Amino acid sequence: MPLRLPLILVSCFGLFMLLQFFWQATFLDQAYGEVLDWVQIIYLFTLWVGAVHLIKLHLKKSQQKKKEAFYSWVTLAGIFSMLGFGLIGGKEQGSLFSWIFDNVQVPLQATMFSLLAFFVASAAYRGFRARSREALVLLLVAGLVMLGRVPIGNLISEWIPDLANWILNFPSMAARRGILIGIGLGSVATALRIIFGVERTYLGR
Amino acid sequence: MDLSTTVAAILTLFIFSFLYRDNPFYKFAEHLLVGVSVGYFLVISIDNVLIPKLSEPLLKRQDWPVLVPLVAGALILTRLVPGWSNWSQVSLALVIGVGAGVAIPATLQAQILTQMKASMFSLEAPPGSSAALYLFERSVILLGLTSVLAYFFFSKEHKGWLGSYSKLGTYFLMIFFGATFGYTVMSRLSLLIGRVQFLLGDWIGLLN
Amino acid sequence: MNRQLIYILILAAITVPLFLPLGLKHRVTPEVERFYQTIDVLPAGSIVLVSFDFEASTVAETRPLAYAVLRHLFSNNVSVVSLSTLAEGTGLGYNFLSEITEELGKKYGEDYIFLGFRPQYQATILGLGEGFSKVFPKDYLGNELSSLPLAERVKNYDQINLIISIADGDLPQYWVDYAQTRYKKPVLAAVTAVMATSYYPYLASGQFSGLVGGLKGAAEYEVLLGKPGLGFKGMESQSLGHLMIIILIIIGNLTFLSQKKRI
Repeated sequence: MPLRLPLILVSCFGLFMLLQFFWQATFLDQAYGEVLDWVQIIYLFTLWVGAVHLIKLHLKKSQQKKKEAFYSWVTLAGIFSMLGFGLIGGKEQGSLFSWIFDNVQVPLQATMFSLLAFFVASAAYRGFRARSREALVLLLVAGLVMLGRVPIGNLISEWIPDLANWILNFPSMAARRGILIGIGLGSVATALRIIFGVERTYLGR
Repeated sequence: MDLSTTVAAILTLFIFSFLYRDNPFYKFAEHLLVGVSVGYFLVISIDNVLIPKLSEPLLKRQDWPVLVPLVAGALILTRLVPGWSNWSQVSLALVIGVGAGVAIPATLQAQILTQMKASMFSLEAPPGSSAALYLFERSVILLGLTSVLAYFFFSKEHKGWLGSYSKLGTYFLMIFFGATFGYTVMSRLSLLIGRVQFLLGDWIGLLN
Repeated sequence: MNRQLIYILILAAITVPLFLPLGLKHRVTPEVERFYQTIDVLPAGSIVLVSFDFEASTVAETRPLAYAVLRHLFSNNVSVVSLSTLAEGTGLGYNFLSEITEELGKKYGEDYIFLGFRPQYQATILGLGEGFSKVFPKDYLGNELSSLPLAERVKNYDQINLIISIADGDLPQYWVDYAQTRYKKPVLAAVTAVMATSYYPYLASGQFSGLVGGLKGAAEYEVLLGKPGLGFKGMESQSLGHLMIIILIIIGNLTFLSQKKRI
């Protein structure tokens, strides 16, 4: 695969989408709409690469004579049962597909992330140390915001939620704005580099 | 305590068992989650995207331009075939090019120009507000914004006035990270509260 | 302190208030008030685009947010066109819509429609500006859009009064970047707490007309609606949980300081 073809495509499509923002014409609008449509469909296939790769991986692992092979069977059973129930039985409320989503997937996913609360508490005790002035500022602001954002803060003092609100709307917001502008400048520079073929890491080169 | 809620509760407890230590129940639940999630995504993508956008236009309406994304999508799948994976770069180039092209005006306008405009202020306070407080708050924003930008400016060594100014930016960043940490704790605890409410309320029925 | 003890302390701090409510009062913040007012001033018959941009992992926060926002919209006789840019948000969003519309007696196809899932947020958000039926020839249930009375009223963003993103990630920012920049649509964001601090610049610049963050934001919204719900119920547990974290940080730092002195 010669390098030139993907780079030409990146430049053509990138410049077209950029120019289309400023230049209005019926034929351009139609082409623009078609390209957006194509991108949605192609992007879906990129997500499928991950799914197919996972299925291949677990199919390989399930053939191995190890204790872990059982778990690969569990994963594969999950994938194929959802595929079967969803495509054959439908996805409406009351279907088996919908039941598995509501009573297996959502609770599992929600609980997996709720474990983070315990880890945050453990990290707060073990790792959150005011070793420097900067860390002390971070710690004090964190404590103030934590108290200010719950009703108990107002119970301790009316100043706490007011101060927390002020911090969020002024100094914290200012810092985040600086980060946003920095990210924005970096994104625009990277996008231009991609369009002009300078940045090629997305091609694996 | 119906069957559906009991199944959900048991799986919840399987995940929580990890807090003691890694065990077969947790591993089972983890692998089940991965499988069911991938299966769910595949069904939704086929039923909700592929069929109405690809197969119906092609097979029912003979909408031939749809062959372009179909072929491009098939090229993406060559990533899975050793020796053919370079062909996926053609489709990737299309997606990346489009993404880069649309991102430039959007980012310039929304993230840079509008934010810069919002940081500029008149020295005259709006009617009904305290002039001193107004000026102080706007100065804090300007100081915070410029000092954080100075911190991220690496083309010049952080020495002298730039060094001191970027140090001020560090403190503003610490304020932002502190606020973010506070909110992150809030978010994580909310997730746990949700699960506890489910177990004690929906499953066991102890809460009204 | 043993980590299992820390886990038990956090669990206790969260669980006790569920049985022994403290009766704490809520203060409504200006950003939530702005969010509420932006919806409240919409005339009956307005059409709002609601995007469920979240995954199942944050359902504990996004469910109260979605319930409060959807209740407000439907109570004010605003029509809702909804979609999702994430696969899991599709199933959850549809469930939330169904529950609230059943509660308030709203009819599918006339008062609300659910378009379903589309990947690649840039193409989706920009594509909707060109034509809803181009991006979604059919809705989530497989109906042709032309067969739905509400869909007939909506061609593109010109017929949409407001965009609301209920999210646990960056999507509200992209609705501003693409829908607002190009098509000048007002955007509201109801986000999980972890994302809230990142969006204050958008609120300050007016790019967001309002911002509701986390379970606390949902609780404040419920106070404004006069209908305490999931958000309200969780806040007392949240309060004690936060206090416990602060106590753990203080104990941890005192232990660290005392060890430092000994050395």
